[in-house]
Amino acid sequence: MSPPLLEMSGVRKRYGGVQALDGAGLTAVRGEVHALLGPNGSGKSTLDKTLAGTVVPDAGTIRIDGAEASVGGPRDAHALGVAAVYQQLSVVGDLTVTQNIVLGLEPARRFGFLDQRAARDRAGAALERFAAAFAGRLPLDRPAGALGPGEQQIVEVAKALARRPRILVLDEATASLHKEQVDVLFDVVRELRADGVLVLFTSHRLDEVFALCDRATVLRNGRTVGTVELAATDEDELVRLMVGDAPHQAPRTPSDAPATPSVAAPGTSTLEVRGLSADRLRDVSFTVRSGEVLGLGGLQGQGQSELLLALFGGARVTAGEAVLDGRPLPRSSPAKAARAGVALVPGDRGRQGMFAVRPIQENLSLASMRRRATGRLALRAAAERRAATSMVERLRIKIGSLADPVSTLSGGNQQKVVIGKWLLDRPRVVLLDDPTKGVDVAAKEEIYAIIRGLAADGAVVILNSSDNRELTELSDRVLVLFEGAVAEELGADAISERRLVSSALRLAPGEKL
Amino acid sequence: MSAPLLDTPRGRLAAWRPGPVALAGAVAVALVIVGELVSPGFAGYGQLVNLMRVAAFLGVIAIGQTIVIIAGGGGVDLSVGKVATFSAIIGSRVMAGDDANIVPAVALSLLVAAAIGLVNGLGVTLLRIPPFVMTLGMIGVVQGLILAYTGGQAEGRAAPALTSLVNGRVIFDLPGLLFLWLLLGLLAVWLLRRTTFGWNLFAVGANRTAASLTGVRVNRTLILAYVLSATFAGLAGILLLGYTESVFLDLADQYMLPSVAAVVIGGTLLAGGIGGYAGTAVGAIVLTVLQGLLTTLDIGGAWRTVVNGVVLLVLLSLYGRQRRLRS
Repeated sequence: MSPPLLEMSGVRKRYGGVQALDGAGLTAVRGEVHALLGPNGSGKSTLDKTLAGTVVPDAGTIRIDGAEASVGGPRDAHALGVAAVYQQLSVVGDLTVTQNIVLGLEPARRFGFLDQRAARDRAGAALERFAAAFAGRLPLDRPAGALGPGEQQIVEVAKALARRPRILVLDEATASLHKEQVDVLFDVVRELRADGVLVLFTSHRLDEVFALCDRATVLRNGRTVGTVELAATDEDELVRLMVGDAPHQAPRTPSDAPATPSVAAPGTSTLEVRGLSADRLRDVSFTVRSGEVLGLGGLQGQGQSELLLALFGGARVTAGEAVLDGRPLPRSSPAKAARAGVALVPGDRGRQGMFAVRPIQENLSLASMRRRATGRLALRAAAERRAATSMVERLRIKIGSLADPVSTLSGGNQQKVVIGKWLLDRPRVVLLDDPTKGVDVAAKEEIYAIIRGLAADGAVVILNSSDNRELTELSDRVLVLFEGAVAEELGADAISERRLVSSALRLAPGEKL
Repeated sequence: MSAPLLDTPRGRLAAWRPGPVALAGAVAVALVIVGELVSPGFAGYGQLVNLMRVAAFLGVIAIGQTIVIIAGGGGVDLSVGKVATFSAIIGSRVMAGDDANIVPAVALSLLVAAAIGLVNGLGVTLLRIPPFVMTLGMIGVVQGLILAYTGGQAEGRAAPALTSLVNGRVIFDLPGLLFLWLLLGLLAVWLLRRTTFGWNLFAVGANRTAASLTGVRVNRTLILAYVLSATFAGLAGILLLGYTESVFLDLADQYMLPSVAAVVIGGTLLAGGIGGYAGTAVGAIVLTVLQGLLTTLDIGGAWRTVVNGVVLLVLLSLYGRQRRLRS
């Protein structure tokens, strides 16, 4: 018997304080559509990227056709016959569809001149299979940026196919596709399967997995927990594998919350959101009051970050409104939102939250310094230092000197700086977008204490988290989002990791697990 | 990661490496020494005071340039030379050699300069025109305004009070101009390091997205940066007027590129977010001493340009090395 086409075992990868993969693996054969499943942060994407050469693992072996393969980069993966498509588009908008598809494997004539005709033929052959998704007219000469997001995604798949892969990785590649486009893609995948190609498929839509895949490998916390034949499995079984037999957690009692000195403005506030719609957000309504932590759950990328951004005036709102204590929140200006008492700890710390090259002092002062400045202009060094020092002590931020660039701190301490800059502004509403992502365990617990302290002091807290345990521990209620809309609201007694996963996957509510 | 070893005073001292300001200062001193060696008298007191006086005009024009470059996003103000020229022309005509007209003349000059900066700022923020293109285009516009205003012939004369303020000797035989430069330089340092505007400016330059999401009014900060740039250029124009007493139509035009070079030599990152005025002031001195040395050596034209370029490249590559050593 010949060896399986793909065998990955013992794959480990650590990002800073987070063990993304902790001995994961899978075995798959040619002519198979193999699903990779697991809750947020279980390591699916990291495993995919290990195979595609965009992530170099710390340990582990990859065998292709029984031979040990070393994948040091995307070029190695290409040579081994592996091609990958991700949810995040990598098309170059200014290049034509043809140029995008042949990018990196442009057919050359003598002296390195590009063979235009061969390029067009090759791109045409790759895109041909998807003709139905373009109403029969292949947009080979149009700039890729002019296509819709779904069409661009299809171009990505065609680009992968032009490399004639033996193994095709589709990582959430259907997220931006319409139903018809998904059907076309699935037909192509089935053709590939018939040709003996192995397709690794990751999707947040469980119905797609059942419709398309033969087997599924389930990951949890970076480890492989099992591989199942989908024909002989139901959704209950899959969810059980994904969540595991997590011990029942005792309900939270107020005494859990370590006392944190008063940081939020006193008094009671109510935030009412009515029919809010924006890009990737559909008709969201809810009410939160002071002292409450409202969790946002669901699979990643279902509009949670967009909701927080929209509340902070950082996204274009197309309909609906958010009202804080009877006053509509400003819609289009983070500066105005901040002055109205809203704070956002954004999801991408490096890009959205901090000023890496600037001193810790400035990073901490920035959001609130106007309150301490004389005539809103002149800063007093002593007052700024006092404010920053108070936050460093209160949040136990480990620093050398306030003058050091914030980039010299560890991830957890950087995140505390981002939170601290807002606490100095005494916000009434605190929006937290995955605040413990990439933060080590000890700092995580401290950030939890800060969040509880905020609520105890009367702030309205909305917490998005990709970590279901975190939501279970901190939230009084959880809104589960799916494709930009509220799919379900879980009350305090209904919040459990298992319930969060089944709700995120849109299993019928009340279904017994 | 901060190495705990460095957190003692002695560790910090051992880890100290000369920053761009110190390096540029060392280069300035080295150039003076070389000058004295090849041409005794180059480092004489009177000669040095003269060099500093020439550096002062560049130094004042480069205040605004520093602010705009720190704001990042390809920020640069190529119109500073032209704006300084226009400001001097307006000042000269309104003053008409009479002390009584100084206040209205200076006020009008600075107002016009600020208005030009406002247009630059609005173009860069609201119309999203790249700063390079916007301010380059503004050179043409201001040139047109100068021709329309003067009809091709500059009129008027500096008021005597202005001339004596700029050229008059105060203490140690130093001209007033140097004290004015010191004053404006301190103002610039205060603005950058001790005001909400300054901290917002560095934040906008370091990470524009994060600045916006921290409640910084990004566009307002950028517009103010261009207004300040043009206003400081206008001030430099007035000082030049006091120095030369009468104006000509391209009085300050040649300061355009040296103002950018002074900022860069001073260690301010062209990418924005890092830098300061002290470095720029030293940069202005380096450039001026270099010009003086080249003149003394009687190196002109083509070779002068080559030497200028080489000095800039050598300094920048040194800075790059420093940055690697630090990280």
